[in-house]
Amino acid sequence: MRLKKLFLSMVAAGLGVGLMASTALAENLRVLAWDGYADADWVKDFTAATGIGVDVVFIGSDDEIWAKIKGSEGQDFDVFAVNTAQLQRYIKADLVTPIDVDKLPNQKEVLPRFRDLTTVSGVTKDGKVYGIPFCFDSIGLIYNTDKVKPAPTSMSVLWDPAYKGKVLAYDNGEHNFSFTALTLGYKDPFNLTEEQMAAVKAKLVDLKRNVLSFYTTADEAQQIFQNNDVALIWANYGQQQVKALQKVGAHVAYVNPSEGALAWLDNWVISKGVHDKANAEKWINFVLSKKIGGELSERTGFGNTVVETGSAGSKDKLVWLNNVEDPLKRSDLWNEIKATP
Amino acid sequence: MSMAGAPRFSSSPWSPLVALAAFALPVIFVVVPLAIFLSYSFFSVDQGTIIHTLTLGNYVRFFTDPVFLPVFRNTVILCVSVAAICIVLAYPVAYFLTTLKGRWRYALLMLLLVPLLMSYVIKIYAVRSILGLNGFLNKALVALGILSEPSSLFVFNMNAILLTLTLLLIPFAILPIFLALERIPQVLLRASDDLGASPLQTFLRVTLPLSLPGVASAASFVFVLALGDFLTPQMVGGVSGFTFGRILYSQFGTAYNWPFGAALSVALALLVIGAILLGERFGRSRGAST
Repeated sequence: MRLKKLFLSMVAAGLGVGLMASTALAENLRVLAWDGYADADWVKDFTAATGIGVDVVFIGSDDEIWAKIKGSEGQDFDVFAVNTAQLQRYIKADLVTPIDVDKLPNQKEVLPRFRDLTTVSGVTKDGKVYGIPFCFDSIGLIYNTDKVKPAPTSMSVLWDPAYKGKVLAYDNGEHNFSFTALTLGYKDPFNLTEEQMAAVKAKLVDLKRNVLSFYTTADEAQQIFQNNDVALIWANYGQQQVKALQKVGAHVAYVNPSEGALAWLDNWVISKGVHDKANAEKWINFVLSKKIGGELSERTGFGNTVVETGSAGSKDKLVWLNNVEDPLKRSDLWNEIKATP
Repeated sequence: MSMAGAPRFSSSPWSPLVALAAFALPVIFVVVPLAIFLSYSFFSVDQGTIIHTLTLGNYVRFFTDPVFLPVFRNTVILCVSVAAICIVLAYPVAYFLTTLKGRWRYALLMLLLVPLLMSYVIKIYAVRSILGLNGFLNKALVALGILSEPSSLFVFNMNAILLTLTLLLIPFAILPIFLALERIPQVLLRASDDLGASPLQTFLRVTLPLSLPGVASAASFVFVLALGDFLTPQMVGGVSGFTFGRILYSQFGTAYNWPFGAALSVALALLVIGAILLGERFGRSRGAST
């Protein structure tokens, strides 16, 4: 999903620069966002409704957001979007301002799982709210409805010998350790103890023996699916991946595992150097509307926090991605797993 | 004109500058980056930041960790096999080309080199759809009754890498062998014939020895290109085809361990330099003996 964003934002960045130049003198709201989070028609509606002009700059990677916000110590933008795993870093570096949720009436109307922000890990600190959830997607399981019966409910099906050589997994140590930890029932999949790490490693070696190949891009997984006997895909690209497969006629369905599905969650955040905080809050409240939430999911395929979508049912357990204890160690162990004969 | 032009050029006030530029460019764009790269291999990483204190830790890890040497060895074996298969397949092709006359020779040579104009990634994708369990190859073999059911012999394993790399790299083997064969003076072959040698004797005692420099450079080309490739193993190697290039790649991507990746690259670079020197030396000594 990030790649697609990157690609699209290259095109969109040009547009953003143009907008900035044309309205540089007015006191416009300065928004930094992923492509798809501040579409031109929403911006137009927002200006029409509030009289506030908006300058949008699109970004293509987490590192780019950090460079832009940290580089200006939060002075260059009023409001921006980051994921839960990244947000804590901004709070620690004192680059963001707490948000007054009372100023966001639409936040009271969001889906139940996003209503109480203290239960959304990563968006609050010391009782203050720093991020307002906006867009997410789960990393669930795609299964071939012709070959996998009954429908699976847990990632443990990936280890089922019945599907030996018919499993596509994702080539990333960090995520693989996290989801396997969830499958093993560990409480905090992002902070594993030494013993847990060893147990997960052994489990992943077993997984490898059941796997046909590890893929990296959604296109790649799709091509392997079409030319081979594939029953199960660990769906790093979530809904986008399911829809693309269904589009080419594959008989597949998507499920979030009962032990909890890893999921990324992007939030709106107000920067330290915000010029007019009330305007920034108006923007966040505006994009939390049912209309924009629906359009967001329709256009990007991601889940939104206002209207139910295929990303997750109301009962599905989602585990928001967080920074892991030691990315280097996970990556080294992942190489060891891959090198194990 | 040229006699007069040459001294005037060298005595021009600009010539030291030109000479300087000629030396500076390779130094700036090749030597300096390589030196930076080499120095990185002596750094280390802590909590995602690079520590600029010199250490041999990365090299010690390469030699002592049970993961790296076996993968390194398997990768070398794989690439030597690719080079050997490429030579065996390319030699007859190159030989056949030299037997052709005039226009046909170069037209066919160009046709063989056309795949080089295609994107490398697209070729891998194409090969992958041919090799899959429901791919073209299996479908064809089953349809022809050669196999009763699709075989997984070439699906996401070392064999698949071997086959794909051979396909991708074979033009690099044909070209040097063809050039070596083409350089052999026809008079030598005629002399051999006149002195009563059979065509086989002529081939074994004249053509083959004279073409060996081409074979040596073809082998080192293919070996070096195969060794540096990480994309092919990544895309067709599946879970059992894990190669050194994939480990190296992971150090720069997900692991963010540039120093260790640099050390692994140095190990690989030494091997590559060794292979090139060997190919060069072998080629030259044979060539010189004529």
